Amino acid sequence: MRYTAREPESNVNVTSTSPIREFLVLTGGLLGIVVGIYFLLGLSVDLIVPHISIGLESKMGAPFIQSLEGKEAGSEQEHYVQGLIESLQKRCARLPYQFKVHVHKASTINALAFPGGHIVVYTGLLEKVTSENELAFVLAHEMGHYAHRDHLRGFGRAIVLMTISALLFGSESGVSNMLAHGLNVTEMSFSREQETRADEFALEVLNCAYGHVAGATDFFEKIPKELDPGKFGHYFASHPQNRRRISHLENLIRSRGLPLAGRQALPETIRQTKN
Amino acid sequence: MYDLITFLVLVAVGYVAGTLAEKRHYRSINEREKALLHLPAMTMRHAHYPDDKVKSAELVYGSAVISIDYFKRLLAGLRNIFGGTVKSYETLIDRARREALLRMKEMAEGATVIINVRIETAAIGKKGNKKSIGCVEAMAYGTAVTLRQ
Repeated sequence: MRYTAREPESNVNVTSTSPIREFLVLTGGLLGIVVGIYFLLGLSVDLIVPHISIGLESKMGAPFIQSLEGKEAGSEQEHYVQGLIESLQKRCARLPYQFKVHVHKASTINALAFPGGHIVVYTGLLEKVTSENELAFVLAHEMGHYAHRDHLRGFGRAIVLMTISALLFGSESGVSNMLAHGLNVTEMSFSREQETRADEFALEVLNCAYGHVAGATDFFEKIPKELDPGKFGHYFASHPQNRRRISHLENLIRSRGLPLAGRQALPETIRQTKN
Repeated sequence: MYDLITFLVLVAVGYVAGTLAEKRHYRSINEREKALLHLPAMTMRHAHYPDDKVKSAELVYGSAVISIDYFKRLLAGLRNIFGGTVKSYETLIDRARREALLRMKEMAEGATVIINVRIETAAIGKKGNKKSIGCVEAMAYGTAVTLRQ
């Protein structure tokens, strides 16, 4: 047999292809999947939230609370607010939550409902309130969010991811912590309906606890207009429907004939922030 | 934002530089393969030449290390998600093996035939535990047999 040297006609080992086209097809597919998941998450929020047990919720809340614990803990203010919320819960708002108040030093005039019954109260809020009734209304409003589980819906799509991560990896895992840190909880948004329902809930609790509803709208009305609206959380001027909420509450008080009476004073030490 | 710009620049540089380098390399490979066509490289283990005709038989080898560009690595990464033929690595392996064979042939210059040729490939420059391939080394080796005229 004679050997004749000759080059192969084609290279079978290299597919002739357009890499740019392949790149576009692959990234397009990937983006499509991501967008699909994003939409599915949005749809599944309302499906998932009612099924999240309190136990699982506490698990989800744990990563948030880690970053809050230790600040101003065990202060007189915290004891007082904790006592107030416990008496409200015991007498008038039987929610299956173990509420824990965290007083946070910040000028923000707000209180936040975190998963697992952790209520963060800013010292800015305590400085502004003048009566116990007023503070009770604010706390009852937060409890209203718990009652309707708005605090979970407020997270939007992230709550689905957090549920999955808490179920799969537990609350101590890096993934859960990462998700918790990635969320700006102070920007949790509530819809108009959610706020109204929480207001109604708070009004009932206030009436049950004190026998009258004085102080319910105090907090809304007190806020001076010249102050930066951004400093006021979801009670006040940052909500354009603020006036609407006041009139809604006033209408309710009038139509149900709820009594008004003297407000209970707040211990002076509660309003002062130690520096 | 800056991360994204860096990333896009890397992808663009990778694509342009990688494509140019690959084209040039293939041109050089094709020319040298043609020039070395007269020296056969075979995989058979024995060549049946009478002992007195064999002038020398010695080990020849050639190795080449070729890296992949940023764009192709990204493409392969995307491929890793969906599965399928990783076409962007095909030219990498092909170039490395052909270059190694050519270098082996260049080492065997003057020989009549190279027998028992083998090619080995190894991934080198792995980053820690990451499975990403930095570059590949291909090594070709065989026995160059020179016959008396």
